[in-house]
Amino acid sequence: MPTLDELAAAALLLGLIMYAVFGGADFGGGIWTALASGPRKQEQRESLFHAIGPVWETNHVWLIYVVVVLFMVFPRAFAALFIALLAPLVIALVGINFRGAAFAFRHFGRQTGRGVPLIARTFGISSMLTPMALGMAVVATAGGSIRLEAGRVLAAPWHWINPFTLVGGLIGMAICAYLTPIYMAVRTRGELQEDFRRRGMIAALVLGGLTTLQIPVAMLNAPAFAARLGLPRTLVCIALTVGCGLLTEVLLWRRRFAAAQIGAGATVAFTLLGFAAALYPDLLLGQLSIAEAAAPRATLLAFFTVLPFGVIVLAPSLFYLYWTFRGSPDPEAPPEDFRL
Amino acid sequence: MDNVMAARALMGVSLGFHIIYATIGIGLPLMLMLAEGIALRTGDELYHRMARAWIRPAGLLFAIGAVSGTVLSFELGLLWPRFMEFSGPLIGMPFWMEGYAFFTEAIFLALYIYGEQRLSRRALFLCTIPLALSAALSAVFVISANAWMNTPTGFTLEGGALRDVSPLAAMLNPAFAHQAVHGTLAAYAATGFGMAGIYALALLRQGASPYLKRVLVLALAVGSCSLPFMLVSGDWAAAFLAEHQPTKLAAAEAHFETMAGAPLVIGGWPDPATGEVHFGIKIPKLLSLLAYKDPAGVVRGLNDFPADEVPDPRLVHPFFDLMVGAFFIMAAVAGWFWWRIWLKDDITGNRRLLWLVVLAAPFGLIALECGWMVTEFGRQPWIIQGVMKVAAGATPNEGIAVLFAVFLLVYILLTAGLMKMLLPAEPPTAGPVADREERHADS
Repeated sequence: MPTLDELAAAALLLGLIMYAVFGGADFGGGIWTALASGPRKQEQRESLFHAIGPVWETNHVWLIYVVVVLFMVFPRAFAALFIALLAPLVIALVGINFRGAAFAFRHFGRQTGRGVPLIARTFGISSMLTPMALGMAVVATAGGSIRLEAGRVLAAPWHWINPFTLVGGLIGMAICAYLTPIYMAVRTRGELQEDFRRRGMIAALVLGGLTTLQIPVAMLNAPAFAARLGLPRTLVCIALTVGCGLLTEVLLWRRRFAAAQIGAGATVAFTLLGFAAALYPDLLLGQLSIAEAAAPRATLLAFFTVLPFGVIVLAPSLFYLYWTFRGSPDPEAPPEDFRL
Repeated sequence: MDNVMAARALMGVSLGFHIIYATIGIGLPLMLMLAEGIALRTGDELYHRMARAWIRPAGLLFAIGAVSGTVLSFELGLLWPRFMEFSGPLIGMPFWMEGYAFFTEAIFLALYIYGEQRLSRRALFLCTIPLALSAALSAVFVISANAWMNTPTGFTLEGGALRDVSPLAAMLNPAFAHQAVHGTLAAYAATGFGMAGIYALALLRQGASPYLKRVLVLALAVGSCSLPFMLVSGDWAAAFLAEHQPTKLAAAEAHFETMAGAPLVIGGWPDPATGEVHFGIKIPKLLSLLAYKDPAGVVRGLNDFPADEVPDPRLVHPFFDLMVGAFFIMAAVAGWFWWRIWLKDDITGNRRLLWLVVLAAPFGLIALECGWMVTEFGRQPWIIQGVMKVAAGATPNEGIAVLFAVFLLVYILLTAGLMKMLLPAEPPTAGPVADREERHADS
């Protein structure tokens, strides 16, 4: 039977997964507007912007969810992480700022016809920078470069830049770039759909390559983390990730897009679950465990008391949102039904 | 600039910036709900067009509000990790609930903004109800966390460590009720007067139209209805402070010496070194009357407290007076406006009145920002009143001044971009503009 702290850690992980699966696709939209290529470059960009429109604010609330859960339920971890990882978090934050603003300005910019190239470039660059920095920050919790001694946080100034975190950052970016084209393939038709299908399959190979690369890098650079990769629970997650990833490629190959989008989301979820399984029972590898970081019991109880009320309000609302904007990415167009 | 000062400056700039967007994010949903509700009930299409005309600037402002809110949630950790480590278990709950409320708001806003082609008119109106409700609730929850910093409850201290933690008691701290009422209604007042000013200006420039008249009356009605509640809750706040945070009241009123029958000081420049107020107007016994409903009540002054535990009245008193002054400006203009409506005057042709509405427009937001500064500067030097000082809550990281410079630049760029986008673009004053082609062009 899991303890209350472990359940809270699961809620935290769930938030992170939701952010990766929904918010990540949003960043991926930015990445692919920057990387748009071929004869349908403009259509690719247009459809990406259309698709992000109605859901981007909602998708980014998951990040706030993660931050709030962290400081409410694991205040010690929150303080330690935000002290040790100030630099990458600031970079992510600046990226989030410019990205959100660039996206919002785009609506007006297109109308007035000014500043569009600058806005598009800002949007593209910050869409890469933010998941990179966030990926580095998340992976740094397992890198062993942050130490806690008598309540003080000890870390070298540039500790968060090393091969292990850099590959982690690239994985963060690759996750985003992987999800978007697959989600888009469901929402587009014809040649545009083929464009996204191809991009999704290539991105899948990149993501798979990077996560595989991370294993030898961890052995050299983060041995404590690498040692945990051999645990049965981690191996199960890795097997599930590989299985889902391969299945998604097959589904894309056979143009089963609706199923592929679920497979892609599951691949990303299992990737993060695998990372968490290796990190468990710690929040900061070898330094701070879930139990040590947890808030007093009354706070955990309050957290789990409020949770179901939130779910009762949010789950149908979210469903209504995604259901209303299903089908064609243009919100002005009538919805088409999913063809499963 | 030392690290704590830089952290305070950065937090202050970020909040000051966020408050503008958050205020509109609370006020505008109410306006949307009212306009769509009236349209549905009376069948008057002008009200529906009015609401749809607001969505373009609304979408932009909401987006900036969401982003600046994300920045704040990070800054809690980046700048104040020690404070959050201590208080997270206590004030995490209102933030947690605020997260839900904001989430709900984002969902229904997206449905409302993007859903016109996919939802019925009734469904669109029904979306504005959870939108307005969750917007107000998110304000109430965030204010609860701030109120806790003023009147911390829900725990006991044992050698610096938390014991007997009760998040519910922390959330329902003594200052919560009046701060929540005062702060949330202030957003309605600020939005109502701000929008009324925009439409009054449009009337002055474009001449009368049934559309502009309806919008102006609706906006000013929302603003004016909040005002009496602002007065009552403000009075409630003063009486509360006299009991629970006497240093804040004393700093706000530039009141140095403890005395019975204390005068109310209007204006003037308090001098903490000498304990005098230069150039202020004193109204005998009024402060005692306001604080204790008794002209002979004893009001404690700043000199009654240790010098290192009181706020600087020079940062509190002027903002307090400006807030109260702004209230009276809005009340006077609203009073005249509704008097003219009562007399069945043609307000759309009354240029002097319209100019006054334009003049009063920014004072809602000015009052709101000032009120926030009063409550924040008035709590100094504490981050948690009587429990933790600001310096103890700050990050041990060096170089926060660099961070301040970086974010200042980010905010300047964002504001410049926003100005560039909002100002030359057709403001929502052009009347029923949002026809199909135009919205297609922007999507």
